[in-house]
Amino acid sequence: MARLIRTEKEVEGRYTEQWVVVEEDVLEQWPEGPLQTVGRPATRVDGLARARGEARYTQDLRLPGMLHAAVLRSPHARARVTRLDLEPAMAMAGIRGVIGPSDLEPLTNEPNYEGEAVAAVAADTVAQARAAVEAIDVEWEVLEPLLDAEQALAQKSFVTNPRDYERGDVERGLAEADAVVEAEYRTQSVLHNALETHQSACEWEGDTLVVYTSTQFLWGVRDEVAKAFQLPKDKVRVICRFMGGGFGAKGSAGDYTMIAAELAKRTGRPVHCRLDRREENVNSGNRNPTIQKLRLGARSDGTLTAIDAEYECLLGWDGWLPPTAGPAQMLYACENVRTVERGVRLNTPPMDAFRAPGFVEGTFGLECALDELAAKLDLDPLEVRRRNHADHDPMDERPFSAKELMECYRRAEPHWERRHEVRARSEGPVQRGVGLATQLWYGGGGPPSYAWVRLGGDGTVTVVTAMQDIGTGTRTAMAQIAAEELGIPLERVTVELGDTAHGPYAVVSGGSSTTPSMGPAVRSAAADVGRQLIEIAAQRFETEERVLRLENGKIVSDLGGSWAIEDITGLLEDGQILGNGARGPNPTGMRVLTFGIQVAEVAVDMETGEVVVERIYAVHDVGRVINPLGAESQIEGGIIQAIGHTLSEKRLLDPQTGKVLTRTLDSYKLPTFADVPEIVAELVDKPDAHLTNLGSKGLGEPPIVPTAAAIVNAIRDATGADVREIPVDRETMLRALAEAREREKRGAPAAV
Amino acid sequence: MELRQPSSLADVDGGLPLAGGTEVVPLLRDGLVEAETLVDIRAVVPKGVSGTTIGAGTLLAELEADPEIPSALREACRLAASPQLRSMGTIGGNLLQATRCWYWRLKYPCFLHGGSTCHARQGEHREHAIFGNEQCASAHPSDPAAALLAVGATVRTDRRELPIGELYRLPTEDDRNVTALEPGELILELEVPRPEASHYLKAMDRARWAFPLVGVAAARFGDGVRLALAGVAPIPWALDSADALEQATPLPGTAYKVELARPLIRRALDAIA
Repeated sequence: MARLIRTEKEVEGRYTEQWVVVEEDVLEQWPEGPLQTVGRPATRVDGLARARGEARYTQDLRLPGMLHAAVLRSPHARARVTRLDLEPAMAMAGIRGVIGPSDLEPLTNEPNYEGEAVAAVAADTVAQARAAVEAIDVEWEVLEPLLDAEQALAQKSFVTNPRDYERGDVERGLAEADAVVEAEYRTQSVLHNALETHQSACEWEGDTLVVYTSTQFLWGVRDEVAKAFQLPKDKVRVICRFMGGGFGAKGSAGDYTMIAAELAKRTGRPVHCRLDRREENVNSGNRNPTIQKLRLGARSDGTLTAIDAEYECLLGWDGWLPPTAGPAQMLYACENVRTVERGVRLNTPPMDAFRAPGFVEGTFGLECALDELAAKLDLDPLEVRRRNHADHDPMDERPFSAKELMECYRRAEPHWERRHEVRARSEGPVQRGVGLATQLWYGGGGPPSYAWVRLGGDGTVTVVTAMQDIGTGTRTAMAQIAAEELGIPLERVTVELGDTAHGPYAVVSGGSSTTPSMGPAVRSAAADVGRQLIEIAAQRFETEERVLRLENGKIVSDLGGSWAIEDITGLLEDGQILGNGARGPNPTGMRVLTFGIQVAEVAVDMETGEVVVERIYAVHDVGRVINPLGAESQIEGGIIQAIGHTLSEKRLLDPQTGKVLTRTLDSYKLPTFADVPEIVAELVDKPDAHLTNLGSKGLGEPPIVPTAAAIVNAIRDATGADVREIPVDRETMLRALAEAREREKRGAPAAV
Repeated sequence: MELRQPSSLADVDGGLPLAGGTEVVPLLRDGLVEAETLVDIRAVVPKGVSGTTIGAGTLLAELEADPEIPSALREACRLAASPQLRSMGTIGGNLLQATRCWYWRLKYPCFLHGGSTCHARQGEHREHAIFGNEQCASAHPSDPAAALLAVGATVRTDRRELPIGELYRLPTEDDRNVTALEPGELILELEVPRPEASHYLKAMDRARWAFPLVGVAAARFGDGVRLALAGVAPIPWALDSADALEQATPLPGTAYKVELARPLIRRALDAIA
């Protein structure tokens, strides 16, 4: 029976209450440990198609008659369009449509950041479209942009109201402390740079708008576009079968979708609007910079007495305030905590979610400050973390649904012990050190999420759900779950996804929510098929349902004997067995989080400031692991991305004009494979007994959370230098080393 | 746009020369150079290493593995760009690379583009110059150019021979080019002396595929040592001695390059001692 319940929903730290209808789900969790398919490494079901170029991405679309859009974007951080004549563009060769600010919502006459869209054209070729944009006659009144964070704070230029949190009394806590660290930490703006740029192709089929788009959230795009074009929701069909990465920045429709849809409407032709790499680096979202003022106090035994944190989050012109204070509030059992988060509005391109937004930045400051505090107290950093372990949610005393952080600490112990041997390998100007940092993040997923499973006459199974695989291996994980539940080999399962017209609703692939939301729904749908199969088999073979089970592609009787699944399904010829599945609610009154720790080993050249990450050990607790091979890849990917954030990536703006200077992949420096260290990845792999029929949480974001702090703590261990900002480029490292030498000269104790 | 593919030097008649294309194609795409005609010079310009002569059409990928050429040049080629780029890019083209200065690339009306100010001096300039930066603070991106400067290479074009030091010139009020090549002039060969020892060291923002923050080339001929730096001036920069580093005129954001160059120079000199 369907039940109507009120449940708490969380996406990337944003909690809302909502009504959900859930089916009764009587499935027990599977036993712990590797099963037949789930918990065993599986190569990607679509790996060959991707490698061979057969997988069709939005980028690959060539719809009949398709036009190409180009967008006039503001070259100024703040300006007013004083004259806009689209006529010269319309007169150009191959031009089929031109729109300006009066034609479509996101187009504007008053851009507030560089790259904001003003007008757009559709033409037969990309080159024609770009030439036409150049031909648009536009005059700008360039206005003074607000770029300085301090000035913005003084003017109270905020995107949203500041967020305050307080428990206990931090001043009292600081007074009771035997040691206090007070320091400022800074993180930079980094860019997602997914391989596939932001893009959509839109086509009207009668009164239905078909949107092919590179997205993390098919249904979110559907709702946004339906609202913008005043269509019933299902008159918008959104398709994304293969997707070239998003990292958080593809959660909404974006101006390119609206532009393609409007131009398609006006021209009666399909229109593809694709950001080029340069637009991508300006105008597709970014991780916002932060300035963090922290005060941490602890007693001589390492017990935290106070965490006081102020975060200025430089969001740009728009966006939302990420949970930067989350780690300070939730990571440790500290009685006195006060946090303030301010979302500063500037005339810079708006932030967007970027793989664990807020927590990446917040963990960097908190975990570096904690190590500085441990150094002051001459305590082992790992021991300090154990001492402050939160046994329940320190914000509201709620129990955790599961928490294996102590187990992560235990497993990390031998890797942390390596520090003595690593330090001993220092040679000449190259000093080596080891650092660690704890990870905390959401990742519980939630309803509503649905899946259908059908079993055909030939005994093959198809999972149908309108979810997206954003490149994380979701297809494979869902196939494994269905195969496990039905006791069939993985090869017999096909997963059909990526089309809102072909399948039920699925969650956003963000907030590490895909597997924990969709996995239980797929299992539930497969179990529905399995139940029916057993019922049919019992009738066919004149036995009782309770003695039958599914195993190795067969229906096996406890009384002896077995039948191939095809022996039953074959009877039905074209008949199909159809199963429905829905994701149940999260456990009431419990906090569902993911945990972990990483240990970094670095080598620092004390003369040239070169930092080489030599090894990273990672262990994370995300409940049951569906595909250990895919999970390991996720951990590696998160760590590699974090190494870029820690050492080489930084979006640079011209300080006068606010324009983005790093627009290409030679100036915006992502890590290369030569920068990738040895990565040792482990998972606790213990199902969360309170969470769904799977006990699985998400792993997309956890691995990127602690890496920067672990690396910077290792740098301090190696050099005695306090690095308090990322990226740690040569200039930053050489300055920190010079400060450390200066401090030593003055006779102050180095912070080791 | 037309692509010509002449089979001999005599058939080259105007147009924008193109060899590996790794430099010219992005410049064309960004509208930093314009051309009606592209000339594929791969069949025209000599290739390969013969004694001390290197054809300008030789790929960096060939030079990075050539045991006969001076180690500084070999290392500079190996540390340049990425394997993919080195498999397309030629040594001749590498010497003529345009600066990576973001202001120049984004077409700010800067000194190098014929304007009156250098935007980098007032703006973001962490990758920029510490020498010769009074009017234009751009940094020359070539690693091999510094190595060739240190070993005292000679450039032979279709019109003349000139020491590599004279191939480059700081941009001036009257001429904003950073090379002395005339329009249409083609580099054909490099004459590369064999030093007794040479070495190239490079500091960059990541382990591979980045232009030099500082590159240091050192070469020893008998008792004489020659030093040249990459990434520190609008042109490859010859340094009279290690002490000459102290005459650098860094900007606030490039002062670290002086600190960075110091140990690299010492290490390069130690390596060839």
